[in-house]
Amino acid sequence: MEFDIPLPEELELLEANSYYPEEEDDDYLNFEEPPYPYPIDGDEEKEEEREANLRRSESPDINGCKRPRSIVSDPIVNLDEGSSPAAEKRSKIDDNNRVEMEDEEWLRPPPIKKVVHVMEEEEEVIIPQETILSRYASEIDGECFPITAPDGGDRVYAKFNRALGDEEVKKLDVKAKSNGLIKDPISVLLEQSEKEAFNKVLQASSEDQNESITAETSVMHERLWVDKYSPSSFTELLSDEQTNREVLLWLKQWDASVFGSEIRSTTDEVLSALKRHSTPSHRQKSDSAFTRKKQFSRWSKDSSSFPKNSDASDSNATDNHDLRNKKSKLIGPPEQKILLLCGPPGLGKTTLAHVAAKHCGYRVVEINASDERSAAAIETRILDVVQMNSVTADSRPKCLVIDEIDGALGDGKGAVDVILKMVLAEKKHATGKENIDNGKTSSKKERRTAPLSRPVICICNDLYVPALRPLRQIAKVHVFVQPTVSRVVNRLKYICNMEGMKTRSFGLSALADYTECDIRSCLNTLQFLNKKNETLNVIDIGSQVVGRKDMSKSLFDIWKEIFNKRKMKRERSNDASGSEAKKFDFLHSLVSSRGDYDLIFDGIHENVLQLQYHDPAMDKTVSCLDCLGTSDLLHRYIMRTQQMHLYAYLPSLVIPIHRRVAQIQRPTIQWPKSYHRCRTLLVEKQESLRSWHHKIPPYIGRHLSIKSFVEDSVSPLLHILSPPTLRPVASHLLSEKQKDQLASLVMLMHSYSLTYKNVKLDPAMSNLREGAASDASALALDPHLFDFISFKGRQYKHHVLTLAMKQVLAHEVEKQKILQASGGRSGILSKPPEIKKINPDLVRKTIAASKESHKNPVISKPPSVSVENATTSKPKPSDVKKASRTALSFFDRFRKSRKDYEDPEDVQKRATAKRDSRPLLFKFNEGFTNAVKRPVRMREFLL
Amino acid sequence: MLWVDKYRPRSLDKVIVHEEIAQNLKKLVTEQDCPHLLFYGPSGSGKKTLIMALLKQIYGASAEKVKVENRAWKVDAGSRTIDLELTTLSSTNHVELTPSDAGFQDRYIVQEIIKEMAKNRPIDTKGKKGYKVLVLNEVDKLSREAQHSLRRTMEKYSSSCRLILCCNSSSKVTEAIKSRCLNVRINAPSHDEIVKVLEFVAKKETLQLPHGFAARIAEKSNRSLRRAILSLETCRVQNYPFTDNQVISPMDWEEYVAEISTDMLREQSPKSLFQVRGKVYELLVNCIPPEVILKKLLHELLKKLDSELKLEVCHWAAYYEHRMRLGQKAIFHIEAFVAKFMSIYKNFLISTFG
Repeated sequence: MEFDIPLPEELELLEANSYYPEEEDDDYLNFEEPPYPYPIDGDEEKEEEREANLRRSESPDINGCKRPRSIVSDPIVNLDEGSSPAAEKRSKIDDNNRVEMEDEEWLRPPPIKKVVHVMEEEEEVIIPQETILSRYASEIDGECFPITAPDGGDRVYAKFNRALGDEEVKKLDVKAKSNGLIKDPISVLLEQSEKEAFNKVLQASSEDQNESITAETSVMHERLWVDKYSPSSFTELLSDEQTNREVLLWLKQWDASVFGSEIRSTTDEVLSALKRHSTPSHRQKSDSAFTRKKQFSRWSKDSSSFPKNSDASDSNATDNHDLRNKKSKLIGPPEQKILLLCGPPGLGKTTLAHVAAKHCGYRVVEINASDERSAAAIETRILDVVQMNSVTADSRPKCLVIDEIDGALGDGKGAVDVILKMVLAEKKHATGKENIDNGKTSSKKERRTAPLSRPVICICNDLYVPALRPLRQIAKVHVFVQPTVSRVVNRLKYICNMEGMKTRSFGLSALADYTECDIRSCLNTLQFLNKKNETLNVIDIGSQVVGRKDMSKSLFDIWKEIFNKRKMKRERSNDASGSEAKKFDFLHSLVSSRGDYDLIFDGIHENVLQLQYHDPAMDKTVSCLDCLGTSDLLHRYIMRTQQMHLYAYLPSLVIPIHRRVAQIQRPTIQWPKSYHRCRTLLVEKQESLRSWHHKIPPYIGRHLSIKSFVEDSVSPLLHILSPPTLRPVASHLLSEKQKDQLASLVMLMHSYSLTYKNVKLDPAMSNLREGAASDASALALDPHLFDFISFKGRQYKHHVLTLAMKQVLAHEVEKQKILQASGGRSGILSKPPEIKKINPDLVRKTIAASKESHKNPVISKPPSVSVENATTSKPKPSDVKKASRTALSFFDRFRKSRKDYEDPEDVQKRATAKRDSRPLLFKFNEGFTNAVKRPVRMREFLL
Repeated sequence: MLWVDKYRPRSLDKVIVHEEIAQNLKKLVTEQDCPHLLFYGPSGSGKKTLIMALLKQIYGASAEKVKVENRAWKVDAGSRTIDLELTTLSSTNHVELTPSDAGFQDRYIVQEIIKEMAKNRPIDTKGKKGYKVLVLNEVDKLSREAQHSLRRTMEKYSSSCRLILCCNSSSKVTEAIKSRCLNVRINAPSHDEIVKVLEFVAKKETLQLPHGFAARIAEKSNRSLRRAILSLETCRVQNYPFTDNQVISPMDWEEYVAEISTDMLREQSPKSLFQVRGKVYELLVNCIPPEVILKKLLHELLKKLDSELKLEVCHWAAYYEHRMRLGQKAIFHIEAFVAKFMSIYKNFLISTFG
């Protein structure tokens, strides 16, 4: 047992500090080496005293009105501490009731005890004196002290080494009564060692309780075994030690903030003790030499803690003390305020949460899937937990356990949100005012979002549910692993013994194996069998209806089962033909319990051809695909006629497939993606076609059906769109025929609303032609019709236009669009070549006009204005300038100044000469200007 | 504009291919007694062209002025309302729509929208035509329920509305509807007719078209007029002075199917079946209907098969196509056909060559 290990160590400690008045150790000493006969009725007196204490505990008002919350339990705590080793021996004398009480009190928060120590010492001091007294000095080894009784004059010898402790205790006594805050190094040491002992005794006592409970429950037969034997103490938990301890440690870290900060040092002790236990626990067990070393180090730590406490400035190098320092600095709750336990059902997550919370002195408030879990409801409940103190006798602080948080997605999300909000509010606040006293902040904050000031434990089965994603980041996550079969079997055996059921461990381990260590289902099965007065039969486990968990396996497991033939099974099939039928049943139930047949068949389809089965004439493949086809037909039929009961026939289609292709070697299974990829791509392409179809003017589009477009139109269309004879040269260099060709092509593209657009190249593509133009974007048809003729592993043989040609085409199509929008579609549409002809005409005209206007000095003016001017007065440029100067308009100033800049004659001439060389030229500078804008007509630029 | 659209006959008089039908239709219309019509025939045979010409015959030039409307409809179906979006082409006197676009909700379109359209008698009936025309495309894709609800509409509003139905296969149109319509079967044009049309186009374009070349195009066109004219234009673009043995560029997907068929003949194993699957997926992704793939695949295979196998392969192709139409996932059935073929072929090879 746990407390056995530290016992010799305690003795060592005692020997090292012999002046150290450790009453508990004293008891040990008395108990183990009774050198002195008990002169009077030692035991009985103790008993009496205990009873007195008991009585006191029943009327708690006696000693403390200052701390009504904690004082209730104090006397008993003391009592237990003093007497528990002895009580162990006398457990038969104690009635159940008492033990139960004792145990309950043990679960109280440890820090309370510090204050009570003092009183305890009073009593304890007396007890050792009684036991050590003797009439003869020779019976006392070591120093002794003669005492003469005041009334009778009897003389006794008392052992001497208690004197110092006596003194100290008296001093302590005074102090404690005055302020209750003990700073004395000795008292701290007292507490420390007492704490150690406390942990031991705690476990010992829980053992006691365990026994008592089993004794008690064997009387009642109606309860479920699961409830009856659910672990009620920490040591009984079946789950992994490591996890248990860490959960407990996490809960203990809350102590400081939950139970108040004055008990800081005690909690530190507990924390460090727990830390010691939790981290190297498994190592400690491993070898004894190491244990000794460990003990030594612990001892040295303890001894070194004495000077540390005596003067506070001293800092220690050991990690233990580091931890302690850190903890004492950080009085608040642990960094991660939420504990998330996850694991498959039946491993005892809920039990652990309850037991641990109870152990640390919390009252558990549970919210599970059966409660309302909307955000508002959760918030009120949490607030209730955080702020309210119940009026009833049970005034322990509460600990919130949210069970099955992943269960109902919609509702659970509300809960997660609320918790997140609270934690985040806390964090924000903590970073904001770090220096403010922590005790007060919590009360202040309640005005806004309430902070989380009580531990919250969340329990889930699946950690990776989307709703839990935010919670995962801030919570401390513990994943439950399956307990070992032997552990489960031990426990089962113990329970079976308790219930008087005859089992063999082989059968139990088979059962545990079968249920995947789900202890809940194991127990239920056993109880059921017990009720029926049957014994657990190893061979029957599979066929027995009981104990069969309706488990739905993952899809991959199912596919694996389908594609995998077990060697063992095959061997057995030689023995008994019944195993084939068993396999049949197994597969059938596996598939039908999963549901989702569509996906299962997709997965089979995806993977079946990758298997390595022997199939020279393809017969197996054919029959597999026929099965798949049948499943598809059936599925479609069910969907169409809504006869869902026909679904019952789908799973059986899996079995012939399994019989055909199952292999012994493990298949590599892939998720069925290709079908869905195909479908989404198809929809995408159809959508692009459809949107293009909408853009085509109806008199053409109505004859073009999307469905048959790819089938018989797209290839020729693309050929037509990219004629090989077209050369990318300036339009005036083209022959008349080529011009016609270009024009008709542009018309075609326009009428089918096709154009070339810039597209980003694929990274792979750009890598290929890195040398040529890596960052130049290519022009591609919009919509991208070339997609429809490109098949994997095949290069299409279409002539692809050069980039320059595409640019020309894109430009022309754009022009055509503008022209059509402005000029109305009727005239231009039917005669595309005319536009070409018109254009040069226009250009020629404009050139002529510009030549004309060249003679006119006022060139910068728009022609219309110049004409006007010519008709009216033909003013000189200077006049214009003056006129504009006289104008008081704000904008005129800008205009004028610009004219000033342009005015010089040589600039004008150069500009006109340049302009004359080309028919039309304008330049657009992109950018930003804060100049005043004014509308300018196109024709002003033209001339 | 493509030649296909450019030289599409706009009136019934100019129709070249189905001249007789056109004349009959014209007679029907001029006698002012136009029944409901059901046009059926393979794609590329000129159904749509005939319908448009017919409309022009009825309403004059105004039938050609159409506008596209994309309207959202709210249909009240008992407990819930269903939102439907439907694109219609409409002129003053007729509405053209494709009810099967709505998928499985096509019933509501027929029940509500078409009924509503049929109910409203055109107000400005100053002319003699007291009815309007509803053109429904792809009637064969309509669900059975939709077809059933259509037949009552046809009877009830026949005074104010004529329906022109258009589909590829009349076998999927219920008998009830067929009996209420004048069925007009539009054949795929024969090779001679195609050649005639090609020569007409060439004359209009002032091209020299050698007769042999035209015949080749017609042969390659799979008796689809659209395809023939398109490939003529393609050839024109690629190489103008036509030569008799000029390359007529084939459809890309057809070449791909041919590749698949050679794959199948080369190796028969699950592994090669897997490769075939990848290629079939490619075809499906590129909007090629699975029936067309299967048909073409069979076609390609038959070219290279021994005659004794042909019958069996055809049988299985039909079998799997039937299953494909009953089912949902075309890939399963195409693949099953491929596997079946491989099995047959392999057995044949083993039995022949040992």
